[in-house]
Amino acid sequence: MTFDFSIPLTYHEALLKGLLNTLQLTGISIALGCVLGFLIALARTSNNRVLRSVSTLYVSLLRGTPLLIQLFWIFFCLPLLLGVEMSNFLSGVIALTLYMGAVSSETFRASFNFVGAEQYQACAALGLPYSVQMVHVVLPQSILRAVPTLLSNCTSLFKESALVSAVGMSDLMHISQIISNRTGHPVEVLTAAAMIYFVIAFPITRAVAAIERRVLDHLSI
Amino acid sequence: MSYQFDFSSIFRNIGPLLDGLVVTIQLTVVANVIGLTLGFLVALLAISPSRLIRYPTMLYIEFFRCTPALMQIIWFFYCLPILFNVYIPGLAMGILALGLNLVAFNAEAYRAAIQGVPREQVDASVALGLSSFQRTAFVVLPQAFRASLPVLLSNGIGTFQQSALVAVVAIADLMYNGKILATDTYRPIETFTVVALIYFAISFPISQIVEYLERRQAASIA
Repeated sequence: MTFDFSIPLTYHEALLKGLLNTLQLTGISIALGCVLGFLIALARTSNNRVLRSVSTLYVSLLRGTPLLIQLFWIFFCLPLLLGVEMSNFLSGVIALTLYMGAVSSETFRASFNFVGAEQYQACAALGLPYSVQMVHVVLPQSILRAVPTLLSNCTSLFKESALVSAVGMSDLMHISQIISNRTGHPVEVLTAAAMIYFVIAFPITRAVAAIERRVLDHLSI
Repeated sequence: MSYQFDFSSIFRNIGPLLDGLVVTIQLTVVANVIGLTLGFLVALLAISPSRLIRYPTMLYIEFFRCTPALMQIIWFFYCLPILFNVYIPGLAMGILALGLNLVAFNAEAYRAAIQGVPREQVDASVALGLSSFQRTAFVVLPQAFRASLPVLLSNGIGTFQQSALVAVVAIADLMYNGKILATDTYRPIETFTVVALIYFAISFPISQIVEYLERRQAASIA
């Protein structure tokens, strides 16, 4: 058995195109998902019972089912229900955004708790309205607190984005599978693709560890 | 919205879904047994004083943690038979891939918990004249196990959900049978909804237990 590691190099343009699609999809979903997650975290900690139970149900459902089935649901069912055509990029973005929203909302909610009760009381004593309290007191502190966990949520999403290959979107995973099937050299091509994922995800996990150690110690929050 | 819902085709075909569920549960349970036991051994290797042992172990852990689970499953299915010239049946291969993935995640959970046992306790056991074995077996490990339990459980649910990925390599689990049913009956909405609810009905109660354990731990620390 001979291995030819020049095969992934021959197809580097296709692999890079796939990586670009993966990064685009992940980037957009992270940006939208974080905003959604922050809003859901607000809803989950609000005093309104309806908001609270709806957002809790949302998070439980999305975290309690495999992402693959969410993706299939949005890919196959949403167009039927809404009666519209959706590109697979769009359904990928919707599925990953909704998932990231659920996951990051838990991160934000945990970080809200790091802002001590006395600060909320101080806000009340100062008569600050809810919006000012959230935007100027809670948000800055909790976002700093949330950064390490959010970053690891982002790496998870980057990895989970490989699932869109199952609905035929030409991301890195899908393209490497096509190349490996066409050339009949799965070992070289799939290993190369796995290395690409690793090379991107690993530094981020290192950064998370560094941030947790240094920055948070330094800020002592 | 003009869609007419019809769940009857699902209930007529509940058999394949249940067969699939059995496969999913088999995958999950065996992968978890591997993950809980081997994960502990790998965690011990990862905190070994010898660099020669520590570095390869860390590489294994980081590699499984930093690449997509789908990639690992597909890599195992396509590459293992070529590399080792063996035939491994689908279910065993799925268990192997999911199990080794879980080993990496659980090893991290164990490692964090072992290193999280306060330094003073180790000092105290030295002062009390406990042997190195007694120190590890009676002071550090019991606390570490308790501390790692919520993470181990949520990793376990994670594997239950990740097990849906084996549908991509045509193992007839719940996801795969659901997909086939959706195509055969032209009822994707009903089928995928029911399949999602089955997954949810199993993982939600366990996640509630995890939350309860976490709350109790937080309360006991405070």
